[in-house]
Amino acid sequence: MTTFRGYERENGRVGTRNHVLIIPLDDLSNSVTMAVENNIYGTRAIPHPYGRLQFGRDLDLTFKTLSGMGRNPNVASAVVVGIEDQWTQKIADSIAETGKRVEAVSIEGNGDLKTIEKASRIARDMVKESSDKRRKEFDVSNLVVSTKCGESDTTSGLASNPTVGVVFDRLVDEGATVIFGETSELTGAESYVARKCATPELRQKFQKIFDDYQKDVTKEGADLLGSQPTKGNIKGGLSTIEEKAYGNIQKAGTKPILGVLDYAEEPKVKGLNYMNTSSAAAEAVTLFSAAGAVVHLFTTGQGNIVGNPIEPVVKTTANPKTYKSMTEHFDLDLSGLLNFEYDLKEAGNRLYNVMVKTASGTLTANEILKHYEFAITKLYISA
Amino acid sequence: MVNKFLIHAKEDYVGVATDDIRKDETVEGTYMDTNQKTSLKAIEDVSLGHKIALRDIKKGEKIIEYGEPVGQATKDIKKGEHVHVHNIKTMRW
Repeated sequence: MTTFRGYERENGRVGTRNHVLIIPLDDLSNSVTMAVENNIYGTRAIPHPYGRLQFGRDLDLTFKTLSGMGRNPNVASAVVVGIEDQWTQKIADSIAETGKRVEAVSIEGNGDLKTIEKASRIARDMVKESSDKRRKEFDVSNLVVSTKCGESDTTSGLASNPTVGVVFDRLVDEGATVIFGETSELTGAESYVARKCATPELRQKFQKIFDDYQKDVTKEGADLLGSQPTKGNIKGGLSTIEEKAYGNIQKAGTKPILGVLDYAEEPKVKGLNYMNTSSAAAEAVTLFSAAGAVVHLFTTGQGNIVGNPIEPVVKTTANPKTYKSMTEHFDLDLSGLLNFEYDLKEAGNRLYNVMVKTASGTLTANEILKHYEFAITKLYISA
Repeated sequence: MVNKFLIHAKEDYVGVATDDIRKDETVEGTYMDTNQKTSLKAIEDVSLGHKIALRDIKKGEKIIEYGEPVGQATKDIKKGEHVHVHNIKTMRW
């Protein structure tokens, strides 16, 4: 059984990073969080444009995403900053359920400057405490690993996506939790995904998510179906939407789906999980990180460079031109698979090893280049 | 013989070119699931990333790739032919 060196959290979950996160509840609180990040070494702010006058499912998802980021085991402790205290406290309470230290500060009645001082002092103590934590050896079954592809081309379906599939199968065999998503990109292979669901209940849940998405597309009068595959896809050799979808789904591997999750929902079972996500890279990775994923495997064809503030994003491509022209963004070159230098199994070993190293603390290209995209999925207009 | 295409699964009717394949070239392919080799003669050019027929396919027949149907033939396709939007289409619409 493989092991990695991670940070044990109060609730028994294991993180691969040790961040002190400064979370703005709303757009008005971004300035304070960025000032704290600037003042205090080792902190990370996650500014975003939402959190005011949202309602219903959309409001729930924004708050679930914010608290999910704080709950993620890659976060040692968190400061939540909000314009008013009630909602700020709600997010802090949700994070506190994990047992980690969290503090809420609000701006109304204090102003930015006093709030910055208060939050900075708290963050200063949190960094001191978190830096005292040490990595320990853990079985890989403690990992929650997510995957997504972006700017895909034929090398994705042919090489890099099947390589992730090999790693996902191995992680499932070793007792870990793995998550894939991208509801829109499954179009054409949705019946295959439904067949992979382990029980009729899961199948129904998946089918409803997929049908609801199709209804949303129709409601907006858009015809995603008629535009797929894109002209670029066709030039690259993709002929049908089914073919594109099967190329995408290779990332999920061959195991049965044991969990079907809504946006940002934390997985309840180990093994392969599907989560409803957008196929936009930053939104999807944000949802996975808010659900508690601690390492991400990202494949690209033409060169998507997405990162995340708390979940390291391992980036790989099998396109030799992309690797050569954008080397600084990559953690692994898989183009050797297309040159017949090694086979799929060996490609899987290579990606698995990079994943384990990353989980143990080796920085990814996205972390070094400060690609910290944080994109909340907005479901509909605010009031 | 040069290895110039990959096949996702043993059930597949098509391989995917990993390099540009020229008309009349005899090329070798590798099955990704079993590492087994196969070879065939291309009867037209097939560019990198495009598909080549591993067998004769009748008009209306489903195209199997990744071990799953990904489209159907809109005309008869000969072994070694380029397989793309001119001779297959989605089963959706």
